[in-house]
Formats: sequence, C-alpha cells, structure tokens
Amino acid sequence: MRTTQEYFSAFFSGLGSLLKGMRITLGEFFTQKTTEKYPENRATLKMYDRFRGELSMIHNERNEHHCVACGICELNCPNDTIRVESDLIVTEDGKKKKVLKRYLYDHGSCLYCQLCVRNCPHQAIEFIPTFEHAVFTREKLCMQLNHEGSKLEEKN
Amino acid sequence: MKEKIFNIVPDATIEEKGGILFVTVPQVSFHDLALRLRKDTDFQFDFLVCMTGMDWGETLGVIYHLRSTVSGKEIVLRTETANRANPELVSVSDIWATANLNEREVFGFFGIRFINHPDMRRLFLRNDWVGYPLRKDYDADEQINPVRLDSESSPDATQTLELTASGEVEEKENVIFEDDEYVVNIGPQHPATHGVLRFRVALEGEIVKKVDVNCGYIHRGIEKMCESLTYPQTLALTDRLDYLSAHINRHALCMCIEEAMGLEIPERAKYIRTIMDELTRIASHLLFWSTFCMDLGALTAFFYGFRDREKILDMFEETCGGRLIQNYNCIGGVMADIHPNLIRRIKDFIRYLPPMLKEYHGVFTGNIIARQRMQNIGILSLEDAISYGVTGPSGRASGWKCDVRKLHPYGVYDHVDFKEITYNHGDTFNRYMVRMEEITESLHILEQLIDQIPEGDYAVKTKPIIKLPEGQFYKSVEAARGEFGVYIESHGDKFPYRVKFRSPGLPLISVVDLLASHNKIADLITIGGSLDYVVPDIDR
Amino acid sequence: MFDFAVVTEWVDAMLCRLLPESWVTTTEFVLVGICLLIAYAVMALGLIYAERKVCAFFQCRLGPNRVGPYGIIQTVTDMIKMLIKEIIEINHVDRFLFNLAPYIVIIASLLAFSCIPFAKGLEIIDFNVGIFFLIAASSIGIVGILLAGWASNNKFSLIGAMRSGAQMISYELSIGLSILTMVVLTGSMQLSTIVESQADGWFIFKGHLPAFVAFVIYLIAGTAETNRGPFDLPEAESELTAGYHTEYSGMHFGFFYVAEFVNMFIVAAVATTLFWGGWMPLHIPGWEAFNRIMDYIPSIFWFLGKSAVMVFIIMWFKWTFPRLRIDQLLTLEWKYLLPINLCNLFLMVFVVVFKLHF
Repeated sequence: MRTTQEYFSAFFSGLGSLLKGMRITLGEFFTQKTTEKYPENRATLKMYDRFRGELSMIHNERNEHHCVACGICELNCPNDTIRVESDLIVTEDGKKKKVLKRYLYDHGSCLYCQLCVRNCPHQAIEFIPTFEHAVFTREKLCMQLNHEGSKLEEKN
Repeated sequence: MKEKIFNIVPDATIEEKGGILFVTVPQVSFHDLALRLRKDTDFQFDFLVCMTGMDWGETLGVIYHLRSTVSGKEIVLRTETANRANPELVSVSDIWATANLNEREVFGFFGIRFINHPDMRRLFLRNDWVGYPLRKDYDADEQINPVRLDSESSPDATQTLELTASGEVEEKENVIFEDDEYVVNIGPQHPATHGVLRFRVALEGEIVKKVDVNCGYIHRGIEKMCESLTYPQTLALTDRLDYLSAHINRHALCMCIEEAMGLEIPERAKYIRTIMDELTRIASHLLFWSTFCMDLGALTAFFYGFRDREKILDMFEETCGGRLIQNYNCIGGVMADIHPNLIRRIKDFIRYLPPMLKEYHGVFTGNIIARQRMQNIGILSLEDAISYGVTGPSGRASGWKCDVRKLHPYGVYDHVDFKEITYNHGDTFNRYMVRMEEITESLHILEQLIDQIPEGDYAVKTKPIIKLPEGQFYKSVEAARGEFGVYIESHGDKFPYRVKFRSPGLPLISVVDLLASHNKIADLITIGGSLDYVVPDIDR
Repeated sequence: MFDFAVVTEWVDAMLCRLLPESWVTTTEFVLVGICLLIAYAVMALGLIYAERKVCAFFQCRLGPNRVGPYGIIQTVTDMIKMLIKEIIEINHVDRFLFNLAPYIVIIASLLAFSCIPFAKGLEIIDFNVGIFFLIAASSIGIVGILLAGWASNNKFSLIGAMRSGAQMISYELSIGLSILTMVVLTGSMQLSTIVESQADGWFIFKGHLPAFVAFVIYLIAGTAETNRGPFDLPEAESELTAGYHTEYSGMHFGFFYVAEFVNMFIVAAVATTLFWGGWMPLHIPGWEAFNRIMDYIPSIFWFLGKSAVMVFIIMWFKWTFPRLRIDQLLTLEWKYLLPINLCNLFLMVFVVVFKLHF
C-alpha cells in the first residue's frame, strides 16, 4: 500500500475476488446435492464386490465348509483375530484327523489385511461386503464363523 | 571419497555396497567426520535423510543416512557405543537441524543420551516410562509400565548434557518456558492440529513467541511391532502410518522387501502401483486443500474438496476393497487385478477434476482474504528446508528439488513425463500452490499411464514364508507429504531385526517453531495447515 | 394497507374497560414483554434452522432432514435439549460475572430487538432517537462477551474476548457513520419517520450512490458486529476452539448462541428499515395496478421478506469467505471502511444540501 494507485487497485481487485467467490458458492447452492440418503436407500445401496466388510466362512447349501482346521489363517493373522478350535478324531480307517470345532473371529481387532484369505489352502474363508457392524458391546463382535452343525465337505 | 574419509578418521571401517559407502566410525571422531562431511566442498552431505537408533546386542548405536543435495551422492554412517548402562553419543543437531527431534526419538527408545543436544526429553513416551522399548532386552511386562491414568505434568525445563572445554560431560538445565510466560496449549484435542498433536505456545497477546511440540499421543510402537511380525504381516501396519498416503507407504515397504529378496515384479504391477500412487496423491492433496480451507475458516470449501475426493475413494473401494486403508500392494505385486471399471472411472475423473480445480481457485486461491493470510507468512528458506529435512511439497515450495520420483525413479515414473513443481519463496502460499499444481501434474501422469497398462500378471507368486538375506536395506518413495523411507536390517530371519520408517511428518513439525514464531496465532494455524502433517505418521 | 395499530388499540380499549388505568399499563407491559419474548424465541429458532439449511445447500448437502418434514422440528428439539442440559459448574471461575455474562448479551439483544418496526403500527418503542437507542442498546452486548472471556479463567476465552473487544470498538464506528449518513438524508432518528419517508421510494434508490455505499459498509460492519464469519475471530473454532464461550454449557451457551442469531436478524432488520423501505411495499411510479397489488401484501411480510434477503446475504458471506486475521480485520476497518465512510458522509451532505437526491 505504498501509492494511492496501489491502494485503490488492491481494494477493487480484492472486492472482485470476493464477488467471484460468492458467485461460485451461489452456483453450488443450486446444484445437485451429494448427501447419501441412508438408511432410506438401503434397498438400492450396494457395496462393491471387493469391499472387505467382515470375514465369513463359505458354506454350501448342504451346510458344509472347506475348513480343515489347519490353522494357517491363525498363524498369518498379525493381530490374533482368528482362533481355530479343533478336535482330534480317529477316522474309520484308523487315521488321526483334525476336525473344526469352532472358528472364532474377533471382528473388533481385524485389520482387513487379507492374509488369512490369501493363505488359506482350501479357499474356506472370504471377505463379504456387509457394512452395518454397529453393536452395543464388544463381545458381540466376537463371532463364530462356522455354522451350527456344519461339517467338512466330502471330496468325491 | 574413501581415502578422504580415511584421512579424516584413520580407524574407520568402510564397506561399499551398490555404490553407497557404509562407514563405521568410532564414537570419539564421529562429530568431526560429520562436520567435515557436511561442510567440505568435496562432500556437502547437507541432508540427513534418516536417523535410525540400533541395538546390536552388545552395542547400541545410530545409523545415519546422508545425502548431498548438490551431487546426489549418498553415504551411510554408523557409530556405536558398548556402554549399555549409560550410553552417550555426540549430538549432530548442530550440523543437521533435523537431528534434533530424531535424537530425542532415539533417546526415548534406546536410552542413548546425546552430548550437546539442547533438549534431552523423550519425544514420544511419557517421562515416567520405565525402560527403553526398542532395546532387544526390553521387558514388556505390563506390571512395569501399566496404563497410567494420571495426567503427566509438562516440565518447563529440560536436561541437557554439555561437553566442557576440559572434556568432561556436565548436566545442565535448559529452560523452555520462563515462569511469567503466557503458555497456551494448542492440542492434543484441537480442531486445527489435524489429530492428536500438541503444541505448547508462548504468547504475547496475539503474537506467538515460541512453539514447543509435544508428540506421542498416537504412538503405537509400529516399529517395535514389526520386529515380531513376518514380512507380509508388517505390510498391514504401513497403511496406518500416514493414512492419507497409505498406498504409497506400502509401496515403499514392498519395494524394499522385493529389492532385498531380489524379486523382479511384473511390469503390469508396476503400472498399477504407480497409477494408484498418483490417485492417492491427488486424494491426499484434495484433502489438504479441504482441511487447509477449513483451518482458515472457509468451511464451504472443505465440502467441495471432500466431495471430489470421494470419487477417488470410490475407485479405491471398487478395486482394492478399502477406501482409506487400501491394502492393495503385496510382496511381488498387487493383491488383485484392477477392476474392469477402473480405467473408465479414471478417465472420467481426469475430465471431471480440472473444472473443479478452477472452482477451487475461484473460491479460495484468488480470494483476497486467503491470499493475504498466506502470502509472506511462514517463510522457510532453502537452507533451513534442507537442514530440517523438510521434503515433499513443503520442501519444493522453498526451491528444493527433492522429488524422489525424479531423483530415484521407481515404479514407472521413468516412463512418464511430468514436471517437478518448485517455487522459490517458501511461504505458505507457495506451499499451497505446489500442492494445487501437483494435482494437475498427477492428472497428467495418470493420463499418460492409463492407456499404457501392459497385459500380464499383476503379481508374482512368492513362497509362503519370506526370509530376507542378511543386510541393511533402505528404500524411499515420494509420499504425498515428503520422502517416505523404509530401512530394514535383516539378520536372515523371517522377522526383520529392525524396521525404521523415515516419516515425512517429523521434519514438518520440527519447523513449526521456526516458522510460527513472531507471527500471530492465526498464522500458526495457517502454517500448520500448509505443512500438512499427518499425526500418526509422526508418532508411528 | 392493514394497520397493526387497530389491533393494539382494540386491546388497549378493552383493557381500559376492564381494569383501572394503572393496571392497564402494567398488564400491557407484561403482554408486550411476553409477545416480545415469544417473537424472539421463534425468530431465533427460525434463523437457526435457516442457517443450517442455507449452509448445507452452499456445501452441496441437504442439511437437517430427520426430525419432521425437511427437518423443521430439528431446531425445536435442539432447543429442548439445550434447556434440559446441565449447566456445568466450573472451578476457579469468577462465578458471579461468569453467570452474569450471558444475560447481558441476551438483554442487549432483546432491547435492540424491541426497537424494530416490524409492520405498520407494530412497533414497541418508537421515540425520537430510536435508531440511536438501537445502536446504543446493541453495543451493550460486548460487555457480556468481555465478561464471559474474562470470568471463564481460560486462556482461549480471554484471547477471544480481547479480539472481540478490538473488533466491536472498530466496527461500531462504521455502523454509526453509515447510519449517520442515512440520518442526514432523512433528517430524523425516529424509526417510524424513517420508514414513512420512504413511501415514495426506498432510500437505496432515493439516495443512489452514497446510500448504496453506506449500505454496503453497513452490511460489512454489521456482519462484523455480530461476530459472524468471516469476522468470527472471537470464536474462531480452528484457532481458539470456541473463543469466549468455550466454558459455557447448557442454556448459558444457548443464550450466546441465540443472541448471535437474533443479532444477525437485527442487523438485517435495520438494513431493511434504513435502506430498503422497512415494511413499505415496492412501488414503481406510474405502474398503478402493480402498486395496488403490492399494497395487498401485508406489511409484515414485506418487512420479513426483505430482512430474509438481507439475512441470506449475510449467511452467503459467512459460507463463502475464509476468516480474516486480526490485523486484516483492523486494516479493513481503519484503512478502508472508515475513510470511505467519512467521504461518503460528506458526499451525502453534499447531495442533501444541493438536493441531488430523488
């Protein structure tokens, strides 16, 4: 603000810049709003296939899964999210075999790093795109992934 | 160069690996050598890239990665002390200003005290923390360090070790804030610190006299955690450092591991990684713009930036399965092939963003209030930028050509043509403009890459258990806010012996005091916003 | 055009028939007070809702849309929440001043609110220095803000209050001078006279250039007076978290909040009264039929409509501009607005003396 001319030019260019900003915001005032109308749009809201919502065990229609309780997922998990509980049974031909009892997954500590899914030798688990995970207590986030009464799919 | 170093320090051990000298120097002559390396015209190692505290079992020590901004040469210094009970090394904070906070970090984690360092407080841990967590013999028993629920008083004075003329080491007290100073806490819960960062600010009316940075409110010990995780597992943690350039951080760690393994990744994976890096950079800079406007009080602008960033996050979600934490890179390539929609979406976005950028400039950049609040505020000179190690857009605003994409091209950056945006003045406005123009430049890179993605595998198969050969590996990338480096020391196990992340954020907060002093409170916020630090990246 | 005096006189006459004279006055005072408070509260609720909606639309959002259709009940529920919230007792505050501050702010705002001529005949206080009283009353609010900042025993609050002090003292000058410019044109400080003398044309047209300049300055200074963005330095949330009202909770905070919004309306209402003809309908000379139709719209709608436009402009400022820094704020006032204002006042005197106005 050394000269009178600068004083006035600064004033008017400043005023111009303010009016320009106001013009833009007024333009946005009338544009389409981007608010997502959740939960009204629940029916149409679809997550992308690859979205990692939570871990789930794949079961077929006969309530059978692929998990052989090898525990590789448990070993790979960086945050001790997975616990595989298994029973040791003796099959008819006298072999000892591990059978999955409970597949426990603590959703609260999952990092979604996919190491379990990628390292599973039998593709027994996958991430599914659910996203409404809110619960009232932390215990409810600990889930059992194998369904009640499910068993290993027999290979023919 | 070897001979010259031998001339200065005859009993140094020098190895050469890949054209880089690894110099082990005895503690007594270390400071002399460091000073000569910095000052002598033959060396001019003016940039301390990374400083890593180490515990080698018998000895404790520090590894310094130095780089010359003049010749581009690099050198690695290493010094150690066998005194584990009371380890002392000489500070280099008088040579490279960035060593100041880094030495405090090493002090907190390894207990090495630095002689002549002005301020020997722990950087991340509480003062009543028992033991030094990154030492190998650290006892992590929860009884020793329980979760303390009492609040910690912030001392106004600190201890410093000084070397007297007679060669004795003397403890002295260094006063940070006088008793009659008006000290205000900005943070750790404050709308403008972008996370849990805490400034203690001495004020004189509206004028800031001094800023004291307190970190560690979101320190998670990621480096310590990495030491007990396998290499693929460590990847999951990088996304949580600077969550705004999650993909880029992970890229750095993957590259470092791949280089150590000698793994060559497919060309397609390189293209995908580069494209994703640039999308991340745009998203991060858009977020910078939004939050910076919000810091300056233009809340509407904030929403415009977020609206447009959302489009990138959607792309990430479709291809990677995550919005903020993409979890996409893996050792040997990427997790999955790109989604069929991605290319179309990126093309749409390249058309969509430029008019929006114009709108941004209209609503904020050109605005007289914003201009006056940015111009000539918080000027960071080139010398200071290098000495403090302020890389990334903030360094480039001071005229420092520090873009890792240009210096050591990785990914497919050597195939694309792009400008390195630099300004010379180093004020807030320059820092702001560098980022805004980098968005355009990133769009330009995407434009060149999007139709060129070669066919082929997106990843190479790796063994289920990855072991790195013995050695030290350092790799850096250009993250959205500066040079992100990964240093791995491997002893041949499936776990790393030591992992150090060179965070771009730590140098950024170390200059806050320099820039904000003698400015107003509002300028402190503006400067903080323009440096664009991300707190989890500082605290790690 | 409907004259509101009919209603008030009818009430007066009825009361006179029922009660002795001294009681009539008392009852009327109470009635007026109740009406005023209700109007004040309703106005505040409406403004808060409007602000949220307008702000949302500027920001590509929808704003409140959960409680009631289009979220219109939202502010009511918020008010109920605010009323039943605990007022937290804070240690080490000057309790008397701390509790007094919000009342000073709200009373100043109420006093100013009561001077506004809402419609033909609908005016509570109308005396010969009306506009002068309005400025004086509204300036008391600053005392409350200073007290709040001081008594809170909080460093952020104190800085906020000091900023507020500097800001108010500066911008009071501009407000005063731009109002003075219009008083020169009218020759009266009585609000009813000011409105009535605009029957043949609003001052913004009659006073042309000097009136327009005065209007712009008034709007800027008025925004600054009400501590609204881009002049919201006293409560700059990104610097001082919430400034002078950081420590307040419950309805005490509510008083500050409500007063801020009604003060915005007062600024808009005074702008309407001084520059845009108050409750006068739009008349275009020569268009008789048009003028007749305009007359059918009740005067209260004219007044509220014009004020709403002013309020929208003030909101538009807030949701477009970044916040000023304290030195920019003072530069704007002392180096730009004040000199321009003085020249403008001189120009207006010149215009009035040589009868250059319409």
